[in-house]
Amino acid sequence: MSQPVVEIEDLHVELGRREVLHGISCRLGVSSRGRAIGLLGPNGAGKSTLIRTLLGFHRPTRGSARVLGFDCHRERRQVLERIGYMPETDSFVASMTGVEFLRVLAALSGLPGPVALEKAHETLFHVGLGEARYRTLGTYSLGMRQMARLAQAIVHGPELVILDEPTNGLDPAARRRMLDLIRQMKDEHGMSVIVCSHLLADVEQVCDEVVILKDGAIVHHADLEAERRANRRFVELEVEGDDSGLGAALEQRGAACVREAAGLWRIVLPVDLDVRALWSLAAAQGLSVRRLTQRRDTLEEIFMKAMGLLRRTPGEAAASEEVEIHGDL
Amino acid sequence: MAIYKRGYQRYDGPLAPHAARLGVLVRDAWRRATAPRLVTALLAASCLWPLLCAFFIYIANHAELWSGLDRNFASILSIDHQFMLTFMKVQAVFSVILAALAGPGLVSPDLANQALPLYFSRPISRLDYVLARLAALAGLLSLVTWAPGLLLFIMQASMAPPGWLAANWRLGAGLVAGFWLWILLVALAAVASSAWVRWRLIAGALVLGYFFVLSGIGAVVNGIFRVEWGDLINPIRAAYGVWCALLGAPMPQGLTLPMSLGALAMMGALLALIVERRLRPVEVVS
Repeated sequence: MSQPVVEIEDLHVELGRREVLHGISCRLGVSSRGRAIGLLGPNGAGKSTLIRTLLGFHRPTRGSARVLGFDCHRERRQVLERIGYMPETDSFVASMTGVEFLRVLAALSGLPGPVALEKAHETLFHVGLGEARYRTLGTYSLGMRQMARLAQAIVHGPELVILDEPTNGLDPAARRRMLDLIRQMKDEHGMSVIVCSHLLADVEQVCDEVVILKDGAIVHHADLEAERRANRRFVELEVEGDDSGLGAALEQRGAACVREAAGLWRIVLPVDLDVRALWSLAAAQGLSVRRLTQRRDTLEEIFMKAMGLLRRTPGEAAASEEVEIHGDL
Repeated sequence: MAIYKRGYQRYDGPLAPHAARLGVLVRDAWRRATAPRLVTALLAASCLWPLLCAFFIYIANHAELWSGLDRNFASILSIDHQFMLTFMKVQAVFSVILAALAGPGLVSPDLANQALPLYFSRPISRLDYVLARLAALAGLLSLVTWAPGLLLFIMQASMAPPGWLAANWRLGAGLVAGFWLWILLVALAAVASSAWVRWRLIAGALVLGYFFVLSGIGAVVNGIFRVEWGDLINPIRAAYGVWCALLGAPMPQGLTLPMSLGALAMMGALLALIVERRLRPVEVVS
């Protein structure tokens, strides 16, 4: 059985005398399989507390949190050897050059001296700071410092990288670069990534899983990859011409459909039928396709529903209609 | 292959042992402590007094150089506990100024730039971090305290008539032990003040204030209230009491060895508590 990257059991964390995490439980990611997990929630939901507990900064009052099979509190050193962390706040040592900063932090993670220096250079080129690597960090712009913080999180080649608000304060080009780097981390280097962000679009772009926290509890845990797959089955089709035979043709191919108005169809495709088949089906009926859209729940809709601001997402609405359609059949 | 052409690759080789990581921390702290030019200048200046003392020892051991002088001069030129205490007092002042210059650069910049989470998200503990800072500072302070002191003692032992070493070994042992106790206190004060405030200048002023202002306050308390417990908040006097006991010199009036040791232990515990409370990866507001 594959091991989860993060395994949390009834985790309670108190800060001061206030309980911030109220007994959360979840299993996130799969080790040795690069996946990105989005951690979402409004301010004060407990995202940062959860991250800091995984890093061993806070001691759980009850329950346990395990990262890659190691207990975050009792086996802290083993956990930290396998983790890279990019904090949300602007953290750096102003008097150090980029390469010196990364070399020291890589060596602290356990890389032997010469390797640490080599990896420092390599990582700085990777994040686009190759030309600035001999400048002191105090002279870096905000975006450069953000990239330097990402570089220090991955310089030692960790299995899990935790990124707290990685795109905060970045211009659009730098933001795109950051998201590309996150995608590379999971797709090309097999790292698991936890992205904590307020920007739903960023999470939606790079994450495969999403956990939504509210008031110190998990209110939603979704596999975005599975949802994307499922969403691809709901199609809205608008055609021009005589579409009286389209319904039968679709049913013949195993699709369920409903004609909403003249030329406007809502279709649920069977698993084995690709959306491209609709084009040939319409052509065979002598119809010209004016619009073909695939229904998908945006992360924003999922988030709003989890926050209790939306009764159900459009995807769920489509799914319930699917039942009605099948009922008619 | 050129490094910029190679691209990023994850490291999956063996990791260095924990002791090697501590070494990295100590080297990093040493680099920071010795970075200010004033530290180098002060290190050079602090060699003057040991050089003068070495000259003094040379004169004291060459009777032919002062044979024509007053007989009382011989008593002035003796290398005893008084000589060592004078040497220690002067070098202790240098060590405090050195700690005030070098110490704040060890922790304050990490606090000011919020770099502590970067360190503590690595497989090192808070204790490792503090020990590395203390070790770097202790190494630096050693250069102006027990190291030259021990050299002077060895010089005197090699020049003195046979039997001097056997009769006075306590001077050497006391000097090293006394200075180590002092180094521990000064280094702790420097790290604590550096952890207490984010501004290096103020942290440096705090170190000086801790030793010199507190000594003044202790003396004022003793003077006004005609008591002796003012010495409990006077780190210089408490350390001096211990030095006297270690070197076999008479204890200063109103001071006992347990009282001095107790005062130093109390101050050390207080400073350690400050470091413990301030050096955390994240601040929790209750």
